[in-house]
Amino acid sequence: MTDEIDLSRLPPPEPYDEARDKAQRKRLLDVWRAPPGWKIISAVNNDYIGKWYLLTSFAFFTFAGILALLIRVQLAVPNNELFSQSLYNQLFTLHGTAMMFLFAVPIFEAVAILVLPEILGARDLPFPRLSAFGFWCFIIGGVFVCGSIFFGVAPDGGWFMYTPLSSNPDYSGLGADIWLLGLSFIEVSSIAAAVELIVGVLKSRPPGMRLNLMPLYCWYVLVVAGMILFAFPPLIAGDLLLEMERAFGWAFFDPDRGGDPLLWQHLFWIFGHPEVYIIFLPSIALIATMLPTFAGRPMVGHSWIVLSAVGVAFLSFGLWVHHMFTTGLPEISLSFFSAASEAVAVPTGIQIFCFIATMLVSKVRPSVPMLFAGGALAIFVFGGLTGVMVALVPFDWQAHDSYFVVAHLHYTLIGGMLFPLFAGIHYWYPFTTQRKMNDRAGTWSFWLMFGGFNLAFLPMHWTGVMGMPRRVWTYDLTDGWAVLNMVSTLGAFVFAAGFAVLAVNVLWPRGKQPPVARNIWNAGTMEWSAEVPDKPWGIRSIPYIHTRYPLWEQEDLMGQVDRGEWFLPDAQEGKRELIVTDILDARPLFVQRVGGPTFLTLGAAFCLGAAFILATFHLWTITLIFGAGFAGFTLWWLWTGTSRIPETPEKYAGRGLTLPTYAQGNRSPGWWAVFITMTGDMTAFMGLVFSYFFYWTALPGFLPSADRLPGFGWLLAGLALLFGSWAMTVAARGTLGRGQRGLAMALLVGALPIGALGIGAWIWAAWTQGLDPTAQSFDAMVWMLILWMGLHLLLNWVMHLYVAARVKFGHCTPEYRADLMNLTLFTHFLALTAVTTFALLAVFPLLMGVGP
Amino acid sequence: MRHGSDEQPRHVTPPGDAPRVVDQGSVWILVAVPSIWAAHFLLSYWVAAIWCAKAAPMASLVEPRWIIVGLGVIGAAAIAWLGRIAVRRYGGVFVIFEEITESSERGRDRFIGHVTLLLCVLSVVAIIFTVIPGLVFATC
Amino acid sequence: MRFSIYLTLPLFLAGCSGRHNWLASAGAEADRVEGLFWVLLIGAAVIWCLVIGAAVYAHRRQVDPSLETQARRFIIWGGAVFPSVLVGTLLVWGLVILRDITADEGDLTVRVDGERWWWRVIYETSEGDVVTANEIRLPVDRTALFRLTADDVIHSFWVPALGGKMDMIPGRETRLTLTPVKTGNWGGLCAEYCGGAHALMRFDAIVMEQADFEAWLAHEAEPAQVAAGDPGYTVFAEEGCGACHTIRGTEAAGPVGPDLTHLAAREKLGAGIYEMTPGNMARWITETHEMKPDIDMPPYPDLSGARLDRLVAFLMSLD
Repeated sequence: MTDEIDLSRLPPPEPYDEARDKAQRKRLLDVWRAPPGWKIISAVNNDYIGKWYLLTSFAFFTFAGILALLIRVQLAVPNNELFSQSLYNQLFTLHGTAMMFLFAVPIFEAVAILVLPEILGARDLPFPRLSAFGFWCFIIGGVFVCGSIFFGVAPDGGWFMYTPLSSNPDYSGLGADIWLLGLSFIEVSSIAAAVELIVGVLKSRPPGMRLNLMPLYCWYVLVVAGMILFAFPPLIAGDLLLEMERAFGWAFFDPDRGGDPLLWQHLFWIFGHPEVYIIFLPSIALIATMLPTFAGRPMVGHSWIVLSAVGVAFLSFGLWVHHMFTTGLPEISLSFFSAASEAVAVPTGIQIFCFIATMLVSKVRPSVPMLFAGGALAIFVFGGLTGVMVALVPFDWQAHDSYFVVAHLHYTLIGGMLFPLFAGIHYWYPFTTQRKMNDRAGTWSFWLMFGGFNLAFLPMHWTGVMGMPRRVWTYDLTDGWAVLNMVSTLGAFVFAAGFAVLAVNVLWPRGKQPPVARNIWNAGTMEWSAEVPDKPWGIRSIPYIHTRYPLWEQEDLMGQVDRGEWFLPDAQEGKRELIVTDILDARPLFVQRVGGPTFLTLGAAFCLGAAFILATFHLWTITLIFGAGFAGFTLWWLWTGTSRIPETPEKYAGRGLTLPTYAQGNRSPGWWAVFITMTGDMTAFMGLVFSYFFYWTALPGFLPSADRLPGFGWLLAGLALLFGSWAMTVAARGTLGRGQRGLAMALLVGALPIGALGIGAWIWAAWTQGLDPTAQSFDAMVWMLILWMGLHLLLNWVMHLYVAARVKFGHCTPEYRADLMNLTLFTHFLALTAVTTFALLAVFPLLMGVGP
Repeated sequence: MRHGSDEQPRHVTPPGDAPRVVDQGSVWILVAVPSIWAAHFLLSYWVAAIWCAKAAPMASLVEPRWIIVGLGVIGAAAIAWLGRIAVRRYGGVFVIFEEITESSERGRDRFIGHVTLLLCVLSVVAIIFTVIPGLVFATC
Repeated sequence: MRFSIYLTLPLFLAGCSGRHNWLASAGAEADRVEGLFWVLLIGAAVIWCLVIGAAVYAHRRQVDPSLETQARRFIIWGGAVFPSVLVGTLLVWGLVILRDITADEGDLTVRVDGERWWWRVIYETSEGDVVTANEIRLPVDRTALFRLTADDVIHSFWVPALGGKMDMIPGRETRLTLTPVKTGNWGGLCAEYCGGAHALMRFDAIVMEQADFEAWLAHEAEPAQVAAGDPGYTVFAEEGCGACHTIRGTEAAGPVGPDLTHLAAREKLGAGIYEMTPGNMARWITETHEMKPDIDMPPYPDLSGARLDRLVAFLMSLD
């Protein structure tokens, strides 16, 4: 590892030539231009997807905010008859659900998709079509879930959907299915975005941007996307269990059949608490990006902020039981979570004090974004302090499920998430639109929202102390909560007025105004190098970065970039190109070609959405048809858009740098995407493993007697066959590498029946012992693990056939075989799943002394 | 070490750069330190949960208590060991607020070392927090 | 911020009454939390002022390179050391309180079963179980152990004035101890969202002098005094009320709904939501779902006139 990129050794740029510049610009423009007219919906570039994502999230925010106002109207006076009990239960459920799943998490993805590539000085994220797919999934799922309230069938079990209220069809109707399927669908799109962002931060950095030079925003995005990867899958596993119980009567949560309602709470909150930080950290990231700009100096304690981001991310996974303090778990168990909940205050404190320290050594320019940031600090610190209170178990026994907690969570989320986001809106508005928002309206909207917020939520703490429980649609005058509630309602409307001012300020048509000056705030990060007016290519040429704040510290960087003096200044081949770099030091590895506008992702998202929606109504046949449609569109998309063999093995990227045009294995973003996706998939599987051990711990009779266990011999045989199938895939990779195409195809296709026999042996093992998933939780768990394996195997078979076809048609060759390498990686994870499942089904009962 | 997944077409490699994924273990040490806290946390929770579920109610917590403390000591020792590696990476005098902005491999390595060192401190504090309940409670 | 503090201050002061108030000092357990609450509240206010003060100071202060050192101290002491020590101390204090307010035994044991949306209450006495519903009476200065279960969905048992809450979970039994120290009628609530009429799932927690409590419990254990051929009971039997409700001392032994043996002795109707008056009783029978939507009890809109009067009179005589 001796090769530092040495600036002095780079050949100097070619002298500026206006005609060449014009020609290059024209070619870049042709390549990156969005499709005209209505076909714009087929755009996949991060500029468009990011903006749409942002606007859609805010539309859902407005919708959920209106629900909140309706809630406040209902509670304004005691014994109010405005809404029925049933409608009110739907209102608050949908308010929480939409705010969390359709606004707070997606907005992180929206902002990141919009600004991350630009901060990285990249032209786009590595998988633009995946972003587009995620966006379309999000909007379809969101409209489906929100629209349900207009038909009176919105979910009404609370945003946490506690079982058995949600699992027993006698207690909950269609709303619960809409919640489960609609949100599972959106979770899929969140995970897609997380994969995109992780790979983006790791592999799409500009040459030279080593880890120690990476902007704080990128650290936060990396950390948060990683958290999504470990937090969402357990909920997906939980959703799967819950929907299996609702739709087919499998016994997971029904105590009469060996289930346990608390399992859902564990799976939900293992997701739910990190989720709070998944929401909070990206907004702090916005402040960490804005503050140095207005302070005019680098952030004080850069590595301390990285420490606190990573520290919070980890600790946040040790807090989930603090939502379950009142469930009667042993006090010692509660105490561990109380301890972690207190400990998380430490890195959070560090984060805040780094900001204050930066302010101390600089003169912060007053501005609307900083006004919002200051308001955020005031609100969030208060929410953090009440958080320290409710993290104490005895205190929580009083505060839990009272309005005190409602006040606490709104202080943390609105102070920690919404206000920084509004600051960011004002800050990046000129970046996105080349116009500036009105400062006076901005100040007005701030004070209205700040005043209204405190008016609404500060008294709410006291409403909680007065004993008002959450989620009640009515109360009596004698309860003594009337005045406090009326004040909160007034505050809510003032807050809403502030948001209305902000919304008008954002949407105000400014087409006739002159564009703003370039880098209007005099920021140091790369996104402000964008030309005014904006160009669709993201960045004219991709520079070499060797400082943390390149626009401040690298002289004439903008000029060099504009004149096309850096890498990839041209698009001779008419392809959208990015530079992929390595994780540690951002050395250029190869030139990646990414897909342009397409309707395939739209088709795939539409079919998948339709499949989920139809499954809600148990219309299985049409569901299957649309499922097949989804598979078709996806395969078409992959076939035509990925792992294309380049016309030339390498190309000149400028400044003496010649890069390959193809990569496979662990150099290619695709391999990393598979790796990261499968890590998320393994986490979901771990959710099932956790469930198994949870039952074993909580229920004395979970493991049945030996004659009710799946047969050991069959399980072992199945494992051996599954292993054989895995070995054949691995062998195919080697044989193709040696040029034996026929043999490789034979191995790939031959792995199918071997795997089928393997899973067949497992099914047989459970079937012959008469295991009935509707009868007992153990039986249901066994079938669920086999089902999980089977579904993955099914997917694996499709991939095998796909790769075999790629080999057959010459898209996957002995030299260019990224597809096969990715498939092998997938299969490795499958083998791990098989071993773990075998250990749970065959070995663990044996160890516990109930085996044969 | 080369894996199958390292092979590239026609063996073209970028100028002077071997495939660099995670060699030198550079990034993993960042994650390893808090992972030790996480492992200690989960083990403590499981020990207590299984103990309370499988033993009779009001079972004495004496034994799991010492398991938790023992795990804490092991965890802290492991973190100390990683901390030593971090110090070596970070190199030289411990300056709490150094901004490591040099553009070199060494700079990147020192930065990772620095953050890891800070994470070591935080993780040890978090482990101490986790041990406290074990000391306060004598019953389930 | 400041504006709204002033605005809500009178509410804070006014808020110290109220039967659901955590700060009513009516229970030993609530008292411990109350002490914690005031310390935390004042501490939080001080810390909030300090942090915001630091931010304002940092903002106002002239730029001065010599402040670099001070800035770093800020992060170490304000951001790392101070919070660690503070939350560590609070953690220990909180855990000690937790240890103190949980006990496994009480002077009396009450089993409470959460139903949709009412409470089945069973006193365990040496002479056997005494079953009642929707009203819990407790002797002052005695520790009551509550054994909590649920039949259908998760509920949560909470008497804010006496102490913390505890969930009632199907398939599990949870425990809570409460030691009332003030007599009075304290409100009880279901705190965990349980669907439908969650808002209307209340009960009265009446703390009595010990002697009064003993007398009440003894009376509650008695069967109802129903004269043979009571015209109201006849209506009750003809309408099939006994299929769901039990009135000890009669043939009505339905296990589904609340026990009605001493119904009229309770202060409230419909799980702590309406005054126990003949008018409310009549409405409850005929317009059940207007009074409490979604509940399992069917309304009897056709019951009217003399039959309804007789039934109401009978029910109101069950004291």
